[in-house]
Amino acid sequence: MPDNVLEVHNAEKIYGEGETAVTALQNITFTVKKGEFILIVGSSGSGKSTLLNMIGLLDRPTQGSILVDGVDTSTLDDNHLSSFRNSKLGFIFQFSNLLSDLTVLENVLLPRKIQGTVDGAAQEARTLLKTVGLESQMHKFANKISGGQAQRVAITRALINKPAIVLADEPTGNLDSISAETTVHLLKSLNRKLNQTFIIVTHDRPQFGEVDKIVTIKDGRIVEGELETSLR
Amino acid sequence: MDYRAQIGIRFITRRKGSLIAASLAVAIAILVVQVNSVIFQGLYNAIVRDQINYRYGHVYITRNEDYITKSDFMLINWLERIPWVQAAAPRLDSVAQINSTVNGQLIHDYNVQVTGIDPNYDERASTLYQTVGSGQYVSFRNSIVLGAMVDRDLGYPQVGDSVKLKFIDQFGNNVLRRFTIVGITQTAGSQGVDSGVIIDIDTLREILNRPHETGSILVRLNDPTKADDVKQLFLSAFPSNDDKFKAQTIEESAETTLSGFRSGIALINLVGYFGMMSSAFAVVTIQMMQVSSKTRDIGVMRAIGAKRKDVLLVFIFQGMVIGAIGAGLGTVMGVGYTEYAKETHMTFQGSLALEVQYNWMGIIQTDIMAFILAIIASIYPAFKATKLEPVEAMRFA
Ligand SMILES: Nc1ncnc2c1ncn2[C@@H]1O[C@H](COP(=O)(O)OP(=O)(O)OP(=O)(O)O)[C@@H](O)[C@H]1O
Ligand SMILES: [Mg+2]
Repeated sequence: MPDNVLEVHNAEKIYGEGETAVTALQNITFTVKKGEFILIVGSSGSGKSTLLNMIGLLDRPTQGSILVDGVDTSTLDDNHLSSFRNSKLGFIFQFSNLLSDLTVLENVLLPRKIQGTVDGAAQEARTLLKTVGLESQMHKFANKISGGQAQRVAITRALINKPAIVLADEPTGNLDSISAETTVHLLKSLNRKLNQTFIIVTHDRPQFGEVDKIVTIKDGRIVEGELETSLR
Repeated sequence: MDYRAQIGIRFITRRKGSLIAASLAVAIAILVVQVNSVIFQGLYNAIVRDQINYRYGHVYITRNEDYITKSDFMLINWLERIPWVQAAAPRLDSVAQINSTVNGQLIHDYNVQVTGIDPNYDERASTLYQTVGSGQYVSFRNSIVLGAMVDRDLGYPQVGDSVKLKFIDQFGNNVLRRFTIVGITQTAGSQGVDSGVIIDIDTLREILNRPHETGSILVRLNDPTKADDVKQLFLSAFPSNDDKFKAQTIEESAETTLSGFRSGIALINLVGYFGMMSSAFAVVTIQMMQVSSKTRDIGVMRAIGAKRKDVLLVFIFQGMVIGAIGAGLGTVMGVGYTEYAKETHMTFQGSLALEVQYNWMGIIQTDIMAFILAIIASIYPAFKATKLEPVEAMRFA
């Protein structure tokens, strides 16, 4: 098992070409160790989502390399990237994470079904849903639960394949303060209990209290000095 | 269940509007094909039925370009010993000029087809006698049954009135005869002898100076599937070159009547299949709408590991649901219409009653075609869905 679950080397992302080209990220280098709780912060348009999408292998950097769990992802083709995302990464987005035509349980099971490892999955899903306090909601359709509950389902789904990293883009951005607090609390307790690595993009830095590392992005670059900020 | 099938089925079944619209498009296309088949195949079958009943029987025996000189009595006896044969009857056809005096006014020089029938045999082998609406069938030597159109052209002479017919016998002599009208015959769709007359066969033989000769023998079977066997049996029993017998099944004897009709049916079916094509376009449109409304879901699926191929399958399964429900619905509607047409003996504008038969092979073929077409129609939208990049798909809430 490699020490670092994530290594980003000199990553750069340029959208478009020629005169209209937009450099969304440049010179991004940092590493994440297993079990760390990382925040990515920065003002709107600074490049946080772009960075998270590249770490999440939803998008490729224009230059540089990204190693997830020791694997250089630039060598993977589209199908392998999909499989890799499925087994190594968990995703939590700001909204509409769930497929509204599936039930809560079916949503949670989806990564396992895609992986083709359904044996015992239902029991694991139930246990996880119990952990997040949604056991009683699991047969409801995903559009019939509240926003806070939906985020907790998304967290459960992100964990079902025991990924190396869980990525979240403003997971509380769409929630009321009570639900947001519950969600933050849940993420941090899962981090401690399962030693699960989390990388979270947020606008609301104080909401998360003490974390292992904060990556501050400004105009597509990591702001030095603040990189090592650790409040734990 | 396969998760791609599950998602595909959920996507479409939880969108009632899209599901109903798409499967109705498929169903209506099937219904159109079915209705066409009921009407036109029904009409075709009705013509075959009436040609059998009134004119040719299941097997029609003639002699190449000549009259049958062998005893009709002997031939019929021979034929009726075949177990599949229900009955056989002789016919002799000719032409005559007809005239009649109605209200003191003479209507004359009108050419009609004359059919000679044998009252002893005809009613067992043909249902022509049932087409006599007023009066009765030919029963004695000088009786005549007028076709309804002949009756009209003669100014509506009635049963009991008399008509005169002028024949030319086989030696070229004019023969004039007076007949007493005993009945008027009329058939739906004029498949009988509406524009001819019916008289006694022996009278006609005598007039034409052709004693013992016969024009044709129509053979009615109790098992119509044995027409070919009966034909072959007959031809091998009477192979002699002198006889020069010709035996035809109904498909052969009625060929001229039916061939034109068949190409008409082929054309109508083509129209039906074009209808199916346009239903496929409806499916394409609805599937495109489905794909764009599920952009976000597709993005989520891709993010958590679904491959492009899996996204494709989701929408193909969705097409299968549309195809299956559409085919089911179309079959129910089509069978409903068929049953209705059958039970009510559907007719059009007083024409002949449709002979409606269930064509299960045709129904299944149409269903399979509609099902496959729904899937084909889903390929392009499904392919579009696979082209969505996960980041792009995630961008919009
Ligand atoms: N697909 C794209 N094409 C062109 N430019 C893009 C694209 N995606 C992002 N950008 C640009 O890249 C920059 C960073 O965008 P990004 O979405 O990463 O910002 P962000 O930090 O997540 O902002 P926010 O906090 O508002 O979500 C912005 O200037 C944005 O306009
Ligand atoms: Mg963002």
